[in-house]
Amino acid sequence: MPWTPAARRGGSISIMDLEVSIGRLTLPNPILVASGTFGYAKESAGFVDFSKLGGIVPKTVTWEPRIGNRTPRIVETASGMLNAIGLDNDGIDHFLRVHLPYLRKLPTSIIANVAGRTVEEYAALVTRLNGAEGVDAIELNLSCPNVSCGIDFAINPESTERVISLARRETDKPLLAKLTPNVTSVAPIAQAAAAGGADGLTLINTVVGTAIDWRRRRPILANRIGGLSGPAIKPIALRIVMETAAKVDLPIIGVGGIGSIDDVMEFLVAGATAVQIGTANFYDPGLATRLVDELPGALAAIEENSVRRIIGTLERN
Amino acid sequence: MISQAGDVAIQESGVVMENVRIARGTYRLRIDLPNIAARILPGQFVMVRIAGRTDPLLARPFALYDTVDEAGTPRAVDIVYLVMGRGTQALSALSGGETLELWGPLGNTFPPELTEDQGRHLLILAGGIGQTPFVALIKELLGLRRYGIHQETGAGRVVNRPRKITVGYGVRSAEFLAGVDDFRATGIDLHITTEDGSAGQRGFVTRVLDEASTTSDPPTAVFACGPEPMLGAVSTLASEKGIPCWVSLETKMACGYGVCFSCVCPVNDVASEQGWDFRRVCIEGPVFPAETISWPNM
Ligand SMILES: Cc1cc2nc3c(=O)[nH]c(=O)nc-3n(C[C@H](O)[C@H](O)[C@H](O)COP(=O)(O)OP(=O)(O)OC[C@H]3O[C@@H](n4cnc5c(N)ncnc54)[C@H](O)[C@@H]3O)c2cc1C
Ligand SMILES: Cc1cc2nc3c(=O)[nH]c(=O)nc-3n(C[C@H](O)[C@H](O)[C@H](O)COP(=O)(O)O)c2cc1C
Ligand code: FES
Repeated sequence: MPWTPAARRGGSISIMDLEVSIGRLTLPNPILVASGTFGYAKESAGFVDFSKLGGIVPKTVTWEPRIGNRTPRIVETASGMLNAIGLDNDGIDHFLRVHLPYLRKLPTSIIANVAGRTVEEYAALVTRLNGAEGVDAIELNLSCPNVSCGIDFAINPESTERVISLARRETDKPLLAKLTPNVTSVAPIAQAAAAGGADGLTLINTVVGTAIDWRRRRPILANRIGGLSGPAIKPIALRIVMETAAKVDLPIIGVGGIGSIDDVMEFLVAGATAVQIGTANFYDPGLATRLVDELPGALAAIEENSVRRIIGTLERN
Repeated sequence: MISQAGDVAIQESGVVMENVRIARGTYRLRIDLPNIAARILPGQFVMVRIAGRTDPLLARPFALYDTVDEAGTPRAVDIVYLVMGRGTQALSALSGGETLELWGPLGNTFPPELTEDQGRHLLILAGGIGQTPFVALIKELLGLRRYGIHQETGAGRVVNRPRKITVGYGVRSAEFLAGVDDFRATGIDLHITTEDGSAGQRGFVTRVLDEASTTSDPPTAVFACGPEPMLGAVSTLASEKGIPCWVSLETKMACGYGVCFSCVCPVNDVASEQGWDFRRVCIEGPVFPAETISWPNM
């Protein structure tokens, strides 16, 4: 039976068909907001029309509360930024008690995002979310580069498959695997995610990097290294989406440096079924909603009337 | 503590009306920004970004210096900034007519309703460019101007007028003094300090607190904004003297509205394992009661 989220459909967006499906998760349009860049949505109420969004991925939730890294947690770099927030969050109980009641009332899909320190912790988090009303899908953050105590599950196909298959047993909700670009090749890991039972892939998390204050001879971030995001990483994300789409038969949500409708269209053509807006929420809080408004015009410009018809239509040179 | 009109931050494009150098490396930027101007309160801030550029990528936070009326309604927002790095350098090159992207009003404010005891003598301590939140605040506290007035009802927030306001304004040297006439125009008692003695008294602005406490009319509340070491020193002094103190913090901000968790500062929290927790300065601040900050963990 097809599984439909509690999302209101964007019927007002003219005759254009913007709807997309990530496995059993159907979204009114392909424009979502990325984990860790949209808080728990409440903060954006004055900037964003929630009913227009394809979906919201709130900030990563862990089993226990985490205080996060010391400051500086961010530093601006050329057309980008490095962050080492360190999964600062109040834990799953707080998420279910405080954030979810707000999120579930919003007229859009909610894709909860979790990170565990162990395979068992991922499974336990998924179990808690499986019973939670208002969670339309679950994204497993397998790739946060800032958590020194955890293992980066998504650097290795075996651990990726294991964590996803265990999580899979705990829920019927659509399950997305968010992968790291910080590997030699994403494709084998994406294949492992498919074998483990993921419904879709979110590509990519941040690219590990650093910034240095040479006068003080110190790394700028308190954590020494951080994750690069923003326009600087778009070519990397686009390449990984293109390569993975060619090799793995799972829907992909493209993330990385998206800041304009052209960027959105590039990801869709490269093979992404949907996209997430990340760092751009920081420097242009109203962007995500505006992109939804601009999407029909971009489709019209290439004489298309449906998002689904352009996904993965990249030609070979 | 936010007025009916001022509670939701919005995004608004604004055209630069003027950008005037007012001291060494210091400019007053006036932006045509009617919607934010109508909502913002003294102590709050806005995020400012030059539209259409990805380098520098992020917006920069600036306190409200003052709003400017046209035909009796707020029309423009003034900010006063010191050139520090690439973002403020880019702002200093604006000459008028450019479009900026802003969002606000952001953050909380200094407490507008001091008790009668606290309001007997309010001492405001401004370190360097940390002076920017105070001209508008003084105008509001003295009833010279109102902010964040609800468009239909005309309601604004309640303020308790302090019996006396003194300002200590400290800079490195005289050429950095900005907006001194604006302070003087409010009629408050202004004490200037410079590190090199080129204007006012030589030394740090904290000496104004030290000296005022030994008079017959000692401060009964302190509001402070400036570099972190200054705020730490002011907090320690105020606590030794038993004077309630509020500080406005500056931390690195990417979003300014609570979604990135980059701007945190350590706040005492008995409920948390380590006795303190990181809180977002852009949402829970920038103003904090000094004793709530976990200074050793800054
Ligand atoms: C709530 C708030 C209100 C502020 N109000 C004002 C104001 O009214 N006028 C004003 O001139 N400045 C204000 N600031 C500080 C201002 O935002 C920074 O000076 C500015 O972001 C520097 O940008 P830049 O690109 O020029 O410098 P960058 O190249 O980003 O940095 C240059 C130097 O400035 C330091 N710096 C960067 N950001 C900050 C920051 N947020 N606080 C302190 N130091 C920083 C860096 O560590 C570096 O040493 C405020 C900051 C906050 C958080
Ligand atoms: C400050 C910051 C915090 C982030 N926090 C998370 C997080 O908690 N969980 C997660 O899965 N991804 C997190 N990300 C990664 C983003 O969701 C996204 O994958 C990445 O930034 C690339 O997209 P962008 O270039 O559009 O930002 C974070 C990114 C940034 C910049
Ligand atoms: S600046 Fe982004 S959360 Fe405070």
